[in-house]
Amino acid sequence: MGNSESEYRLEMTGITKSFGVVSVLEGVNLKVKHGEIHALLGENGAGKSTLVKILSGVHQKDSGKVLLNGKEINPKNTHYGQLLGISVVYQELSLVNDLSVAENIYLHKLGASKFWMNWKKITKDAQELINSLGFEIDASAIVRDLSIVQKQVVEIAKALSEDTKVLILDEPTTVFDPNDAKKLFANLDRLKKGGMSIIYISHHLEEIFKIADTITVLKDGVDTGCVPKEDIDKDGVIRLMIGRELEDLFPVRDVTVSEKPVFEVKGLSGDDGFVKDVSFAVRAGEVLGIAGLGGSGRTEMAKLIFGADKKKSGTLTLNGKVITTRNPVDAVNQQIGFVSEDRKEEGVFLPLSIRKNISITSFKTISSKLGFINDEKENTNVNDLIAKLNIKTPSSEIDVKNLSGGNQQKVALAKWLSIDSKLIIIDEPTRGVDVGAKVEIYNLINEVAKKGVAVVVISSDMPEIMGIADRILVMHKGSIFGELPKDKFSEENILRYSIGEELKN
Amino acid sequence: MNLTIKQQLSTPGGILKFLIKHNTIVIFVLLMIFSALISDVFFTQTNLSNLLKQVSGIGIISIGMLIVILTGGIDLSVGSLVALLAVTFALLINLVILPAAILLTIIMGFALGSVSGYLVAYQKMAPFIATLALMTIARGLGFIYAKGSPVTFETAGGAFMSDFANNATLGIPNIAIIFFIIVAMASVMLKYNVFGRLVIAMGSNEEASRLSGIKVNKYKFLVYAISGSLAAVAAIITASRTNLGSPNMGVSWELDAIAAVVIGGASLNGGKGTAINTLMGVLILGLIGNILNLLNVPSYPQQVVKGGIIILAVLFQKFEGKKQ
Repeated sequence: MGNSESEYRLEMTGITKSFGVVSVLEGVNLKVKHGEIHALLGENGAGKSTLVKILSGVHQKDSGKVLLNGKEINPKNTHYGQLLGISVVYQELSLVNDLSVAENIYLHKLGASKFWMNWKKITKDAQELINSLGFEIDASAIVRDLSIVQKQVVEIAKALSEDTKVLILDEPTTVFDPNDAKKLFANLDRLKKGGMSIIYISHHLEEIFKIADTITVLKDGVDTGCVPKEDIDKDGVIRLMIGRELEDLFPVRDVTVSEKPVFEVKGLSGDDGFVKDVSFAVRAGEVLGIAGLGGSGRTEMAKLIFGADKKKSGTLTLNGKVITTRNPVDAVNQQIGFVSEDRKEEGVFLPLSIRKNISITSFKTISSKLGFINDEKENTNVNDLIAKLNIKTPSSEIDVKNLSGGNQQKVALAKWLSIDSKLIIIDEPTRGVDVGAKVEIYNLINEVAKKGVAVVVISSDMPEIMGIADRILVMHKGSIFGELPKDKFSEENILRYSIGEELKN
Repeated sequence: MNLTIKQQLSTPGGILKFLIKHNTIVIFVLLMIFSALISDVFFTQTNLSNLLKQVSGIGIISIGMLIVILTGGIDLSVGSLVALLAVTFALLINLVILPAAILLTIIMGFALGSVSGYLVAYQKMAPFIATLALMTIARGLGFIYAKGSPVTFETAGGAFMSDFANNATLGIPNIAIIFFIIVAMASVMLKYNVFGRLVIAMGSNEEASRLSGIKVNKYKFLVYAISGSLAAVAAIITASRTNLGSPNMGVSWELDAIAAVVIGGASLNGGKGTAINTLMGVLILGLIGNILNLLNVPSYPQQVVKGGIIILAVLFQKFEGKKQ
């Protein structure tokens, strides 16, 4: 600490970053002192991960300044970031499963060494590093055989194997039990006292208030200032995370929701045990929202209903009839549609035309018994949907890869409207979609629900889910933690349920 | 894509774009002209019908290969299947009446292809490995059943087949007619039938197909079974041409078939390729061999030239991809 000239170890000022037309960071400031734990907070999509990735060299900023010890730096790649002493422990584990713990920890050094590897020394050093963290893991074990908790520890050890000056932890405790978390906190405290600067990203406010010295909250790509922990309480932080007016984006929900459930789930659990005992009902005309943090099991639950993943137990009832969905084929036969959050990988066929994309679900109606496609029927159906969904394209023969995100999403939806789905589950309906198309998609969801289709919308975008849903279920750790009727809708309430806290009265 | 050919040609740079897009046909036509210029025997009926007879067997398995490659898979077993099925056909023709021999051989081809299909679709084995294993097994079985030496046709049925395979109708060799019919059928299936649509969809995005309620496993299974059945047809005509079934037939045909499909512009990642272009690929490969033969180039340099042409064709397609 003593030999530093600047007050801050790390200063990021006016950082902006956009991906294509999507602006993620719009002038973010982050100042981290020597020997402090600095919490970085914000909703899903507020830009935390992007900021961290700019710091570590994964992404390059569009504008702004990054100073390390008062000197401007410009990490072009992660290697450069590491040389500067910036280490990141990402949320998604980045270990090589087939290598040993020691090899993983020193992976970045393996290429830089002389011709021969000193395996003995590497293993010994790795073992000492892990022992110093207070966890029991054999450094020569293969990473594949470790538990998820152990993997996370290895990931942290890896970040510390360098001469780390700035350590960034992205939700490190999601997999930890309280005991392990305590051990981690003790380590962080020790490292901090040794002069390390730690940026700690988490949704768990309890944790933050336990270990952080300073808090910066990101909101829609800007920071809301840097606050010492003593000057703020949990409610204050939650207010900072929300603090925005609901825009006039959403259609008026003028549907009378009937009492009769169209679709019902009882005791749904996944084969891998992550999603546990989920039960809910969707009524005719209703838009049901599913909220929760990333990794809370929302997508997994949707995929269980759709039959894309294996169920352990659970009963599904659609229009009063018990149905089984062992695979997506069953689900589609029951007229259940699922729009994936991962549009490019799971939602659309990028190299194929709009026509071929939309028709993929409706061959039963547009082809003969021998499977020959009736061009006229196909074109009528496709062109009707293009008009109805207002997909902006000169023709149905344009490849989907040439469309904007919003129009791609409409194509993904169109294939389910094409078969008159009785239940449609839409995962992140407007991710990567511009505002204009967002409004159109909201109107569409509204219209579909009006016709008596049960609509389930999963979304991390809180204004969105409050704007379009009639009722919100909040998931936490694979189960439904709480239910919010319309008069209880607020970002605060959703956030509280998301992090496993009860509502305040 | 929705422009007519005329419109395409009349846009600025349209001719060049058109030529690049249909590069397989361009290469084919250039090769034809080149061949005609350097050799006076090239455009004789004997030479052309020899050329067609030579490519028909590989051509038929290339169509099966195309369908497998469209799903993003590969079938290395087809060359060995031709050998095993040719031996099978020769044995059968000496045992049962001709229609039964043909039918049973095709059923056996379907069954052998189904083995690969089962391993790939339901046991999630990598297509390369599953079909590599079947390739070795089929070749070995061929030698076992033939007891190491060729099995000759000895019945009237055999004589009929040999007659059929070596004759022509309206100047076109009968076996080439069979090849062309298969190309036409594949072309129609890929373009106008749900089957083709699904095969291409699976190849362009398997997970999206699964999440659209497509029976991905069933169709994966089927493409290998079809490839096996087409290997049976290729085996029947190949055996009939020479009046015998030999376990040495079809050596490295699978590689020629893959080359033909790739020269025809198909992507080994799946989702892209047509039967007509594969036909062009087959003819281009055949033409190269034919010209080099006419020029008396020995077979080893021929292999070098063939490899070079494959590289050129694929580079040409990359150029096309960048242009778009």
